[in-house]
Amino acid sequence: MIQFEGLVKRFGDREVLKGLSLQIEKGQIVFILGTSGTGKSVLLKTLVGLLRADGGKVVIDGQDVTHLSEEDYLPIRRRCGMVFQHPALFDSMTVAENIAYGLMKHEKLTLEQALPRVRECLAMVGLSDTIENKLPTLISYGMQKRVSLARTVAVGPTILMFDEPTTGLDPVTTKQINFLIRDLSHRLKTTSIVVSHDMDCALEIADRIIVLDQGKIIDQGTVEQIMSSKQPLVVDFLHEAKARAVKA
Amino acid sequence: MTLLADIGGCVHFFLQSMDVLIRKGVNRHEVFMQVWRVTVQSLPTTAMAGFFVGAIMTVQFAMQVEAYGAMGYLGGLSTSATIRQVGPLLIAFMLSGKVGAFTAAELGTMRVTEQIDAIRCLGANPFQELILPRMIAIILSSFALLAAGLLMSVFGGVLLAIGFAGINADEYLRHIPTIVKLPSIATGIFKCLVFAIVLAAICTYKGFTASGGARGVGRAVVETAVATMVALVAADWATSLIAETVLSVLISQTGAGSIEAAVIS
Repeated sequence: MIQFEGLVKRFGDREVLKGLSLQIEKGQIVFILGTSGTGKSVLLKTLVGLLRADGGKVVIDGQDVTHLSEEDYLPIRRRCGMVFQHPALFDSMTVAENIAYGLMKHEKLTLEQALPRVRECLAMVGLSDTIENKLPTLISYGMQKRVSLARTVAVGPTILMFDEPTTGLDPVTTKQINFLIRDLSHRLKTTSIVVSHDMDCALEIADRIIVLDQGKIIDQGTVEQIMSSKQPLVVDFLHEAKARAVKA
Repeated sequence: MTLLADIGGCVHFFLQSMDVLIRKGVNRHEVFMQVWRVTVQSLPTTAMAGFFVGAIMTVQFAMQVEAYGAMGYLGGLSTSATIRQVGPLLIAFMLSGKVGAFTAAELGTMRVTEQIDAIRCLGANPFQELILPRMIAIILSSFALLAAGLLMSVFGGVLLAIGFAGINADEYLRHIPTIVKLPSIATGIFKCLVFAIVLAAICTYKGFTASGGARGVGRAVVETAVATMVALVAADWATSLIAETVLSVLISQTGAGSIEAAVIS
């Protein structure tokens, strides 16, 4: 279980998270929805220790991780796999080396030893092992996103975090990524947190939706509850999603 | 205030790197790769610049020593000036233009595309994997490039001495060991080390702290170029002062009366 208790995060004078409290149950797919600049990505990065909270607490499976040192955070990061907004693949490494990177660092495996797991992960995200020796720049953006997902799941995280997973993707690839998020979360029995402003994506994959605005939770519930919400921002998101569906 | 914050940030960043180096070590394979890349990338331009510096020094000194009938010391004097002053500064400027800007752009791009965050999330330390290998490579390569640049400067000096000053190669080279002694070499190495540290700290710091997408990376590269040039000139003044002071103390203590001591004083 993941708990945020009165979480505060500031950048200079700007308070991005304003005492946010939230509890995420094990095995759920939680979708954090909000407009740009509301602190969604900051929330994820605070959970994985890339950013440190200025106030409040972050608790993962009963362990308070708010003030852990960089070194003490390493085992936590192994449990918390993060897929970034950009594929964030290492340009100078092949696809296989990228996926094996976490295994080589965490488990001290060689590339050869990690290769079976690399191929397994590539298959998990629907990619063939024929691309394993290619550089990331030689594959499509959608494929890079999948490789990034394969790299994250390779180390066997129990919590998966997705920061704007479908940004910059075409509708077909977006659907495939949405399917992958749901499929992998169920198959690997992970707790998944997806951060995005894409309501279609939220309605498609979420067990629970949390709506953030100005660093605070303004609404939350199951897909059905959110669909009947009267909260103006949620209504706007739903209208936009319906309009897109009609257009499509 | 911004300047002071920047200087403080850069010094803190360098000390943090040294702390990681001492406590955790560095990815040696990556150091080797970076040394190779930096040296290969900068060798042709450094060698060419070294050649012309040797030639320029010979022309400059020839006009002065000719008046005293001391053309025999031309090779020693121009080599001494190159190793003590022009060589280390030239290597640092070359590295700043090529490697400094490249490193800032590379790290900056990795920062804004979240590759550095990904490294942290995958259980690695970016200082061990990215920063320290680049810092160490710049420092080690500086020495290799200084040696190469110096050889080429002697070569350039010899050619110009034959063509311009009318002395032969043997005469030019004969007094190099007489004039270029340990203090000159030590000064050159000391300057080379300090300049390399300054350059390595600034370019890695600027790249690592880049933010704001492509514009942010561009800004980091420009700031690296400007900051390294200013810092290198300031470091040249400081290292010259330190070297001259140390040398003066040594000369007064040993009462050395060598030609080099005379030249220095």
